[in-house]
Amino acid sequence: MNDDTPALRLSGLSKSFGRPAVDGLDLVVRRGELYALLGPNGAGKTTTLRMVTGLLAPDAGRVEVLGIDLARDPAGAKRGMAYLPDDPLLYGKLKPTEYLEFVAGLWGIRAQDAEPRARRLLDWLDLTKHAHELTEGFSRGMKQKLALAGALIHEPQLLILDEPLTGLDAAAARQVKDLLVSHVERGGTVILTTHILEVAERLAQRIGIIRQGRLIAQGTLAELRERTQAGSLEDVFLHLTEGHAQ
Amino acid sequence: MSAPGSIPWLLAHELRLAWYGAAVNAGRKGGKEGKEGKGGKAVKRRPGFVGIGFGLVGYIALHAVAFALLRKLDGDAMPDAVLAMPLTVLLAVCATFMLSSALKSCVVAMFERGDLDLLLSSPLPSRSIFAVRLLGIAASTALPYFFLAGPFANMAVVFGHPGWLGLYVAVGACAMLMACAGMLLTLALVRVLGARRTRVVAQVVGAIAGALIFLLTQAYNLTRHDRDPTSMLLALLSNNHLFGPDSALWLPGRAILGAAGPLLGAVGVAALAFALTAGRTHRFFVHGLQQAAGSARVQARPAGAPRFRFRASLFDTIVVKEWRLIARDPHLIAQVLLQLVYLVPLFALILRGDAVGPALGAGLTLLCSSLTGSLGWIVLSAEDAPDLLLAAPVPRRTLQLAKLAAAAMPPLLLVALPLVWMTVHAPTTGLLVAFTVTAAVLSAGLIVLWVGRPGLRSDFKARGKENFLCNMLELASSLCWGGLGWFLVALATQGETWMWKAAAGTLVGGVGIVLLARLLRRRPL
Repeated sequence: MNDDTPALRLSGLSKSFGRPAVDGLDLVVRRGELYALLGPNGAGKTTTLRMVTGLLAPDAGRVEVLGIDLARDPAGAKRGMAYLPDDPLLYGKLKPTEYLEFVAGLWGIRAQDAEPRARRLLDWLDLTKHAHELTEGFSRGMKQKLALAGALIHEPQLLILDEPLTGLDAAAARQVKDLLVSHVERGGTVILTTHILEVAERLAQRIGIIRQGRLIAQGTLAELRERTQAGSLEDVFLHLTEGHAQ
Repeated sequence: MSAPGSIPWLLAHELRLAWYGAAVNAGRKGGKEGKEGKGGKAVKRRPGFVGIGFGLVGYIALHAVAFALLRKLDGDAMPDAVLAMPLTVLLAVCATFMLSSALKSCVVAMFERGDLDLLLSSPLPSRSIFAVRLLGIAASTALPYFFLAGPFANMAVVFGHPGWLGLYVAVGACAMLMACAGMLLTLALVRVLGARRTRVVAQVVGAIAGALIFLLTQAYNLTRHDRDPTSMLLALLSNNHLFGPDSALWLPGRAILGAAGPLLGAVGVAALAFALTAGRTHRFFVHGLQQAAGSARVQARPAGAPRFRFRASLFDTIVVKEWRLIARDPHLIAQVLLQLVYLVPLFALILRGDAVGPALGAGLTLLCSSLTGSLGWIVLSAEDAPDLLLAAPVPRRTLQLAKLAAAAMPPLLLVALPLVWMTVHAPTTGLLVAFTVTAAVLSAGLIVLWVGRPGLRSDFKARGKENFLCNMLELASSLCWGGLGWFLVALATQGETWMWKAAAGTLVGGVGIVLLARLLRRRPL
């Protein structure tokens, strides 16, 4: 594996639940970029991410994570990746410290590496003062931040987030955005889905738009604007998705 | 039609929700199917015709049973004064169950139903809202007893005893009293312990109340007596004025039989309790709700820097996580341990020396199998974050093995001491029981692993509905290994030929059930 290997390569990825949810999707996400995957409700974004993270078996196609075929070496592919779904993967009866211990254990991180990272993440996300409380009492934003800390504790090269800013207040959203930008600046790759187009407009280096399980457009914001002759990303998005519908 | 916002209007709303609630309980999907499960089958809005049909058939069957029993009783022509005594005792026992049920309903009303914020933010008086909620709790408490006991009152009318219709009034009054007691107890607990602890305490008390009645009924068996219980009871009832047929103690029974005075008294006491509870405590009810709203947020003690204990082994990490989750859920622990309560009489008999080795072998094996099945369902099927485990670079087999160990270790530790004691005193017996216990624990764990369906921890009590096959296999496996425990220990002491055949049969049965579970195993992702 060398640095030219894309962080994620999808080839002909398909999944059907009676009707096609993802339909022969081809996608390449380069290392060190923040890629926003946009699409209307039911476009197949979450299904795509769940196939990429190994939570859902594809009907056809291939997923390569950091050059590793997910089907052939699932553990190897998952080792360098983290997934943060829209509904945080937490245990209500665990404390943040215990949750981070557990996630670090799942990814096989040594205690001497995990502990300073855990402390830094709790500090960074303003969770240190809540470190000894059960997470069942946390607000939506605190849960999302703790899940993000869990996703980052093994320093993944590829971070995949499904609607990471849903339900967060302005301060928490800012913290999460800063963390994502910092992750990319340190050489990591981020793929996120969001309905908040302003977030994609400001953070993403490249944007992919899917509709009915197919990639209908991809490129930088400038490229997409040029292609559609639209002003904002909202205009681009509506032009592409509604245009396709027509 | 009642005016919007009036008490009858609110009551109709409450009944509608209860009716829909019955449908949700009947048709609830316990499984966590993940994202794609969102498009699963919709929950029914009201009970289906099949459910109503079953209910009606059951109600008619109860009438038939009541008819047969009352025809026999009518022939004996027991005087009302005497009949009132067992009826009072029966009502007292039912009252305990009613209190348990009312406590659970109060917890739901205060902590789990999401509509009180809407109701209390409306211009309706909080007194009306509280009164209707209390009436709803009383009605839901009384309903099962109306269903089960009502046919006896109805059939008594056929035999010329219209007074027995007083049963409806007496049961309703009793349910109202218990609803008021449950609400006052819940509010008092909120005041003393705070909303969060009250929720846990009320759930645990509600869960064990039924078992306490069982233990009380068994109390006589658990102690040694020199005199015949019937003669003792008769002596007590006839010699003491307090317990004689004319005693005021049996007024509830006389109310059931339709005596006007006791009936009016029951209605008066229930109405007074309702009026006082609704009138005097509605503000405290609102205060309790406000406390409940903030109860999820627990202020931990001020702590210094976070302390971590990262573990070197994945196996340890998973086992510790599972045990922490169980240990911090008192309601779940109470429900699991409830199963042990029902085995107490068996162990008491064994300790008294009425039964020896074979019963102990079977008892320990059954106990371990049952506990492992319950813990196995919690650990394996009711995983809170299955996607986190699936997304981790962890071999599925290691995960399953660690979870299986987390479920199997507590029961094995629980019986380790008795097993060591047995092995020291009777090595063959001890080793044989150790074998059946281990086999039962492994079988129960593997059955849950292979055929258990995913569910929510909060659905522990109702897991049988979604896991019928798993439960049946678990039960059959427990019986086989328990039976083997009995026969092997009996063989070691008596050695009759038929026992060899029986032991071989149960062994084949136990192994066969595990193999069947393996054949029927659910496909992994």
